[in-house]
Amino acid sequence: MNIYRTKKTVGTIILHLVVAFIGLIMLFPFIWMILGSFKYNKDVLSIPVNLLPPEWNFASYKNAFAAGPFGRYYLNSVIVLVFALVINVVTCTTSGYGLAKFKFKGRDFFFTLILSTLMIPIQTIVVPLFVLISKMKLVNTYAGIIIPLSLSGFGVFLMRQFFYSVPDELLEAARIDGAGEFYIFRKISIPISTVAIISLTIFHSQYVWKNLLWPLVVATKTNLRTLTVGISLFSGVFFTPYPEQLAMSVSACIPIVVLFIFLSKYFIRGTAMTGIKG
Amino acid sequence: MKKNSHSRAGYFFVVPTVILFCVFLIFPMLNSFRLSLYSWNIMEPMKWVGLDNFKTLFQDKEFLASWGRTLQFTLTSVVLLLIVSFIFALMLDSRSLKSRNLFQAVYFIPVVLVTPAVGVVWKLMFQTTGILNAGIFAPIFGATVPWLESQNIALYSIMLVQLWISSGYYMVMFIAGLQGIPEEYYESAVIDGASWFRRLFSITIPLLKPVFLLVFVTSVLFVFGQFALPYTISQGGPNYATELMTLFIYRNAFKYLKVGYASTASIFYFLTMIVFSIIQIRLFSDKKKR
Repeated sequence: MNIYRTKKTVGTIILHLVVAFIGLIMLFPFIWMILGSFKYNKDVLSIPVNLLPPEWNFASYKNAFAAGPFGRYYLNSVIVLVFALVINVVTCTTSGYGLAKFKFKGRDFFFTLILSTLMIPIQTIVVPLFVLISKMKLVNTYAGIIIPLSLSGFGVFLMRQFFYSVPDELLEAARIDGAGEFYIFRKISIPISTVAIISLTIFHSQYVWKNLLWPLVVATKTNLRTLTVGISLFSGVFFTPYPEQLAMSVSACIPIVVLFIFLSKYFIRGTAMTGIKG
Repeated sequence: MKKNSHSRAGYFFVVPTVILFCVFLIFPMLNSFRLSLYSWNIMEPMKWVGLDNFKTLFQDKEFLASWGRTLQFTLTSVVLLLIVSFIFALMLDSRSLKSRNLFQAVYFIPVVLVTPAVGVVWKLMFQTTGILNAGIFAPIFGATVPWLESQNIALYSIMLVQLWISSGYYMVMFIAGLQGIPEEYYESAVIDGASWFRRLFSITIPLLKPVFLLVFVTSVLFVFGQFALPYTISQGGPNYATELMTLFIYRNAFKYLKVGYASTASIFYFLTMIVFSIIQIRLFSDKKKR
């Protein structure tokens, strides 16, 4: 019994050490990114390696934003995010609700059609999509960036599954009281789906905020670039100022990381949920 | 009568979204078949070339190499992801681990970071004087690794980053699966004297089969479409060693303005994905039969 117990504590200690060590590896690049943004250019890749900045450089953030476009890129990313999310939540909730709660001709066809778009992510159709957007004269416009990023077959699926679990009696009762369909949707269905909508928003906002390919292709003018494009294409005239580039990277990550720290349960539960439902 | 009007309301909820999906996703997909029959640089009028793009594509060594590379990248990354995220899940769901939630959150952090920012950071860390070489490999092993300079290694370096950014995500899926296994199964196995490994292979892994399949399906789709990592870390280099199909399509369409040719490549990209899905559907239906 005694031997068994010591064995178990030793095992537990080793487990903790291994988990903590890998945890450090998982965190390290992010920490290095933050520390690097406070170094001077010569210290970022210097030998011998210095983890902490030998001299702290607090100007890199100011420089990155003062360099003009970066503030603009940030603003563009926020604009794209907000509008893409609004369109995404509206389309996913309405169509998910319609597909789950109404019986009409062609419903299954519509559902299959939307599900089939899971097989065509933006990477697959980037060329014809660009052709379409340019025919619509939407290249180098916010609408051109936003609309393709706001559609998500998976989001529709998620909301449809959610509304499917809402009991029909709840809606039937309101119908008997003479409430209109849109009124029922707004006053009953939306309020009870808050948690699902938060999960959808967290899920989709990461997609929009992190997307590089589409804004890279469709916004060729500097003043329409998003953060991700700005970070990827950032370089100086004669050399790349690393601390500024890292400062941009940190600034791009910070909003999601802060959100994650406060809402980590939603992030993790949302992921687990997409797993179970998907 | 009532029933009828109630059903019709369904169209108002569904049709606007369906139209958006048709215009911006399904129509472009179909249109890529038409575009693949033309030679077109966007500025000049389109020129009909029939199946020439397909002929060129099959003889294009760059394309074939990029196709094979994408398969290699996807399959290797996915297998590694399955193993690593499953091991992470076993460790972080363990009863004997304290502050499990904190550790799970830490392992999840790379998932939420912005991909191009991650690419920039790893690109710097991979340099000869970067932290990996100058901080770890040179002092401990006395040699540096040409992470991004070697054509044989660069693709694996990007796989490493892919693994780093997504293992936390799939770990969470596995943890959800682990928590769905009833405790009694393990208890009776312990009473029967089953070792930890025995329990792992006779209870945990068989019961998690649906989760393994799910992780496989989702990660294949995700990794197959990877663009931002190779674009920011290596720009497809050195000598195209990390040029995945997404980069090939991007380069041909938007650098060389070969719209028709890039559409043809997109069709193959799409067909490869379809084949992947058919294999996956097979795996799923096999599961059901048992």
